[in-house]
Amino acid sequence: MSSSEMKRAKRHLETTRKMKDMLPRFFMRMFERRFSNEPLAWCMVGVPPELLKAFDLLWEWPENFGTLCASRLVAPDFIKTAEGDGYSPELCTYVTNTMGYCKRWIESGEPPEESPMPGGMGNPTMLLGSGFLCEPRYKWFQAIATRFVDVPVYSSDPLAPPWDVDPHDPRIAAHYKALIREDLHGQVEFLEHHTGKKLDTDLLRSIMALSHEALAYWRDTLYLRKAVPCPMGSTDYFSAIIPQMYMVGEEEAVDFYREMYLEVKDRVERKVGIVEEEKYRLIWFGLPPWFNLGFFNYLESFGAVFALESTYNVGDWFEVDLEDPLEAIVERAWVRAVKMHDYGTEAMPELCNPAVFGGFVGSDMLDEAVEDYHLDGAVMHLTRSCRAVSFGEVHTRNRLAKIGVPSLIFESDMADPRLWSDAQIKTRVHAFMETLAGRSKPGS
Amino acid sequence: MQNLSALERAAAMAAQPEALAADLRRESGQPVIGYLCCFAPPEIISAAGAIPHRITGRPGEPTAEADAYMEPYGCTYVRNVFTQGLKGRLDFMDGLVVSHSCDMIQRLYGIWTYYHPFSYSRLFNVPHQVTPWSERFFKRELDFFKESLEQFTGQKVTDEKLRREIELANSNRALIRQLYRHRLVNPPLLRGSEMLSLLLAGGWLPPKDFNRLLKEALEEVEKRAPEGPARPRILVWGSLLDNIAFYKMIEEAGGDVVADDTCIGFRLFEKDIAVHEDLNEGLKDHYFVNFQCPRTDRGPGTARFEYLLQRAREYNADAFVGYIISFCDPHKFDYPDLRDYLKEADYPMLLIDDNYSFAPAGTIQTRLQAFVEMLKA
Repeated sequence: MSSSEMKRAKRHLETTRKMKDMLPRFFMRMFERRFSNEPLAWCMVGVPPELLKAFDLLWEWPENFGTLCASRLVAPDFIKTAEGDGYSPELCTYVTNTMGYCKRWIESGEPPEESPMPGGMGNPTMLLGSGFLCEPRYKWFQAIATRFVDVPVYSSDPLAPPWDVDPHDPRIAAHYKALIREDLHGQVEFLEHHTGKKLDTDLLRSIMALSHEALAYWRDTLYLRKAVPCPMGSTDYFSAIIPQMYMVGEEEAVDFYREMYLEVKDRVERKVGIVEEEKYRLIWFGLPPWFNLGFFNYLESFGAVFALESTYNVGDWFEVDLEDPLEAIVERAWVRAVKMHDYGTEAMPELCNPAVFGGFVGSDMLDEAVEDYHLDGAVMHLTRSCRAVSFGEVHTRNRLAKIGVPSLIFESDMADPRLWSDAQIKTRVHAFMETLAGRSKPGS
Repeated sequence: MQNLSALERAAAMAAQPEALAADLRRESGQPVIGYLCCFAPPEIISAAGAIPHRITGRPGEPTAEADAYMEPYGCTYVRNVFTQGLKGRLDFMDGLVVSHSCDMIQRLYGIWTYYHPFSYSRLFNVPHQVTPWSERFFKRELDFFKESLEQFTGQKVTDEKLRREIELANSNRALIRQLYRHRLVNPPLLRGSEMLSLLLAGGWLPPKDFNRLLKEALEEVEKRAPEGPARPRILVWGSLLDNIAFYKMIEEAGGDVVADDTCIGFRLFEKDIAVHEDLNEGLKDHYFVNFQCPRTDRGPGTARFEYLLQRAREYNADAFVGYIISFCDPHKFDYPDLRDYLKEADYPMLLIDDNYSFAPAGTIQTRLQAFVEMLKA
């Protein structure tokens, strides 16, 4: 790997290009608040961001920080520091990135200067983990609080029924919803205790309303990508997830997603694609190589566009009654899980987990996606350090092969560019493009 | 096999556990239910009239067949076990029970049951946090597990039957603890590899037969006298060890495995299952609250390792050997914290990171020998 092979993404939408101004403005506002010694939480995906906002907490997403470190090519230094501390290279590189960051921060007393955000991540006064999706999400915070910062930890623990247990059975629903509900109440109690504030349910309700409005625009935007030519590609998609993580419940976030929706809709109406001649429509599986998002632009140079991604996808939207906003969070988690079951998620039961953003291993869901998005092929990123997301890709490839859709699986990592082999991956991309060129469209 | 001693018989079973299970199935007419990991109580399987069979892998065997269904980057134990299924070696199993212990085992369940549906299969779901609500969830999950087995075998899991199975398993636990006590002397009367052979047999034999085997083994061990000079005493911590090869390597390197913290070991047998009026209460405490797999989050700090230090002191261990299977996240996350904790307590630790093959044997053996030599010095 040489860093010259790593390319930053070229985005196609005006709206996502505007993030360059919007996000730093937001981060700076948050940065300034740090000096008032307000509570600050480090959080895992799976923690309802609306809840954080309702407590007016400052928060950081170490996973997302990992993606930023990766995109600035500073992650390897942090990862190597963690490896020197005894953390295995097999462990999630988002984790080892953070562990290395923490070690250097604690040792020097200041955020490492390579940090991609102003002042790095703020000093946490609490850690909010989640068992959603994978083990690293709680083992990570257990380790941070053991080794680096002695702060309270709450790890939420949502579970969902495996694929062969019927969620429509009222007793099963009650069994799982009780866990989700009681766990959420435990989280609220923890936050109340450590912030010294009572949860304002009216405020939470209004934040959820804004959050859902933004998510509805996001969902509708994603549906617009069914159009031919595809109006939006992966470089915009993977950038556009950030406002919902950091700016949830902000009017500015709603404006952002509304604007993006209108821009994409306009492109559909004007039949504007992201490449001059759209030859192949693909689905992306797995986490992106954040250090080389330009890889998507490289694929576009073959006329290949991604109309759909399996990760960070909020999936179908469900209206839930916001009267009791905590119960609305439980219900939102549950209806999504049931929806996944209804599609039949045979290989990866964790995809039924609440708030999941993947879910294309389900039989009907895969078939539907191929048809609705007019897909010609799949590209799957087998991330060595994130088995939670990539385990199941071989099975998905097998299922796609049954309906005549070819797949390319290549190996690398989401944050560690040392695992990127440019020549080898590009050789395989060439071969895959030849495969796509040599076959007729499914159904034609 | 009848002329062999109990310990020899246990060791011989490890060569063909599948044949043993197939024989048991034929002779008893009962279905055999294979299970992975330790959270779904086998006592419930027995109480439902089925034979629980602990599925084991074959360390070091190629797993290329698995490539067609699962990724190369995954727990090598999971890939190995799945390969046994693909090869047809587990065809004697009528059912499959997989506990949601770690990510990889959970994912194995989906893939396995998709490509090879069993007459009965169950993912036993387990929370990661120990909280009042997760304990309640675990108890409800036990009820659903019972119900599903009842539907499969057609036999009711009554409290009476379950209590009997728990009491029988507890009597086996008591015998196992007695055998462990014979490792307190120096040199120990029972080698670590012999103990593990017995425990493995316990995963395959019906509890009554296991009870007889343990009693015979105990009689044999009690007749022994300490032999030879004392050797460095090792406590083995880490991922699943379902084969005696690793303990043999330590023994050949000149050390004695006197205690362990692995899931076919002290984690399962250190305590009895408490028998309350509500039987689920004791099962929940035994298989969830007190079961020391690092996949369960016990909060930050090093208090979560205190039991290990106590055990090392009780068994007068000189050092720790860690054994971690490739891609075993829960253990790999704990390793740096545990290493530092033990260092502070002045216990040396050697970590062997292995792809469930104990290979290259020469390299591992050399590292173990060097470690043992260092302990002797």
